[in-house]
Amino acid sequence: MSQILWNLSADKVLATLREGKRSDGRKFDEYRPVQVIKNVSENADGICRIKLGQTDVVAGIKMIPGEPFPDTPDAGTISVGAELLALADPTFEAGPPREGSIELSRVVDRGIRESNCLDFKSLCIREGELVWVVFIDIYVLNFDGNLFDACALAALIALQDTKIPKLDDKDKPVKGEFAGKLKLARKPVMCTFVKVGNSVVVDPSLAEEKALDARFSVTTTEDDFISAFQKGGEGAFSPEEINKCVALAFKKGKELRKQYCE
Amino acid sequence: MNENNAKIVVVPGEVVTEERKKLGQHVYLHQGRIYSDCLGMARIDGDSASVVPLEGKYVAQAGDLVVGVLISEKFAGYTTDVNHFYPAFVSKKELPENLKPGTIVSAKVAHVNEMNELELEQSRVFYGGDLISVSPVKIPRVIGRNGSMLEVLKRGTGCSMLVGRNGRIWLKGSNVGLAIKAVEIIEREAHLDNLTDRVTSFLREEGRKAEAAKYA
Amino acid sequence: MAKKTGSEETVTYVDKSGKRLDGRKADELRKIKVEVGVIPRADGSAYVEWGQNKVLASVYGPRECLPKHLANPYKAIVRYTYRMAAFSVPDRKNPKPGRREIEISKVSGEALARAIFLERFPNTAIDVDVEILDSNAGTRVAALTAASVALADAGIPMRDLVAGIGVGKAGGHLLVDLNKAEEDAPDAVDIPMAILPNLGEVVLLQLDGLMTQKEWEESQKLAFQHVKKVYELQKEALKKKYAVEGNSGDMEAGARAAEEGVVE
Repeated sequence: MSQILWNLSADKVLATLREGKRSDGRKFDEYRPVQVIKNVSENADGICRIKLGQTDVVAGIKMIPGEPFPDTPDAGTISVGAELLALADPTFEAGPPREGSIELSRVVDRGIRESNCLDFKSLCIREGELVWVVFIDIYVLNFDGNLFDACALAALIALQDTKIPKLDDKDKPVKGEFAGKLKLARKPVMCTFVKVGNSVVVDPSLAEEKALDARFSVTTTEDDFISAFQKGGEGAFSPEEINKCVALAFKKGKELRKQYCE
Repeated sequence: MNENNAKIVVVPGEVVTEERKKLGQHVYLHQGRIYSDCLGMARIDGDSASVVPLEGKYVAQAGDLVVGVLISEKFAGYTTDVNHFYPAFVSKKELPENLKPGTIVSAKVAHVNEMNELELEQSRVFYGGDLISVSPVKIPRVIGRNGSMLEVLKRGTGCSMLVGRNGRIWLKGSNVGLAIKAVEIIEREAHLDNLTDRVTSFLREEGRKAEAAKYA
Repeated sequence: MAKKTGSEETVTYVDKSGKRLDGRKADELRKIKVEVGVIPRADGSAYVEWGQNKVLASVYGPRECLPKHLANPYKAIVRYTYRMAAFSVPDRKNPKPGRREIEISKVSGEALARAIFLERFPNTAIDVDVEILDSNAGTRVAALTAASVALADAGIPMRDLVAGIGVGKAGGHLLVDLNKAEEDAPDAVDIPMAILPNLGEVVLLQLDGLMTQKEWEESQKLAFQHVKKVYELQKEALKKKYAVEGNSGDMEAGARAAEEGVVE
């Protein structure tokens, strides 16, 4: 669909929302159906593919022994990358990551890192020498809106299933052998809202995203903490709208966690 | 805000008035209040509220006289730099062939489309002289009420001048340097009172100095 | 992420007399200075000192959008570039733009876009460039504060100025305008925000760290309360450029009197 057609579609999305309805018939606070597919790669230490409506993403985990940062000699770390694969959307292009994918990966990173769901100290192998680096690589396979929530959920479920490789005496992972499972202290779940005109809806479809004025993502944990916010888009939110989104993010986060992360 | 302090500097988003007024230039209405949309001087004239910008780019309107410089020759005309967002096109119907890039022309804006493209008409070529640039929002002050300031400039310097709404001024004459100095004063002090008087006395003073130098 | 994980060290972030590590009160901003028109070549510019943070911002445009395929036929595009100078951090920063800078540039540009009447300048670009010359936490909000003043200085029509402010938490205390030492607290929460002060809208909002919903709502109130001071400084700086006694220039005198300009 060309840009000009998206502009027409945006007008329609706005008009429908003004009538109190969403173009795909969902309620304003309703997610599309989520499908969780596991074991899609045997080489990954943890893996999860998520379909959120027609949005399709896969997150894979690789645990790699590496050098610690000088200022945190006793702590492992995570690294999140998100690729908007050219096969997922006509506007995605191959090549180095652009601002869209950089923002996506950094927001997913923040939600996980800042929730302290991973005990980075337990990822230390030998202080000052060797620690685990948890690489979370996310690939977008089909783009139908709301990559943020799909990628964050895929990353969380993949982390939950991650096995820690066994190392030999030369610190090389032994193929097919594992020393245990990665422990998660919390389950951070991201909830994304978009504002179109004066309406705020959760889990935007592609059409809604193309029509958005502003976007707001909230990552929450099951023990009632916020771990990340990100506002995007060329529009604004009122403080009341933000507070409503935060409250709804807790509610929806609970539902998603219960349905897909237990 | 009342009429007494109506002429004050406002910033974008600052309330110009909470009263019901007609919306003039550079203001907008939000929840019953009138706000400024730019850095400028707030004005309340009777039943209308407006802001006169202190900074800004030239935004063309149909009917504006502009001073442009030819960039390149095309089959049917010339692309011309008129200090607008995009170069304008001047038809050869009104201009001779083979004009060099850098030639100064004047023209009237016939039409501006929604893509910021200009259509020009009544174009004329100006040979020789100098071209200076002034902030386009200060041009009204260079012209003055009913052209009074421009009259002062021309009389005080003996120069021919063509002032374009686009912030370009073409000058020709033996005293171009003095004219440029005077225009610089106007640009610097455009937001102040009694500007015509100050420019008049500046030119008179400079004229006297020149006389004195002649006989020294 | 230079978070000191050594849990033995206990830092008191707000002492018994209510003072922070640098002597400020919990809701006190660092010293802020705003200057207008510091880059003569630019269409608009501003310099902001915010505690140790030093930021230069320039605006060019609205101008021809190049490359042309980036132009939007309905409105101007905002290209915001946030960069940190190599010497602006304790270690040398690689001058190549990092992922952090790219993300900040994106969300900051979107924040400014809300304030500008973009639809008046279809097919054009407004380039906003900010350079961080010295840093000590809170650079992105200082940068937006400078950028919005630079936009006003360029005469670009806007709904409102954009004022930045940081709020958050350290050592269990809700704080306004965290510095680096406070951002490095083990429980630190950092919430950069940008607000349209007259319209009461939030245009930039990020958060990292763990915080309850109640703490957030309290933090948001603090942000709205104290952003007014930032806004007053922006306003003051812009007005200062034109502040002269008996100020009532008659800019409309020769408005649209184009005809008068023609040589006889």
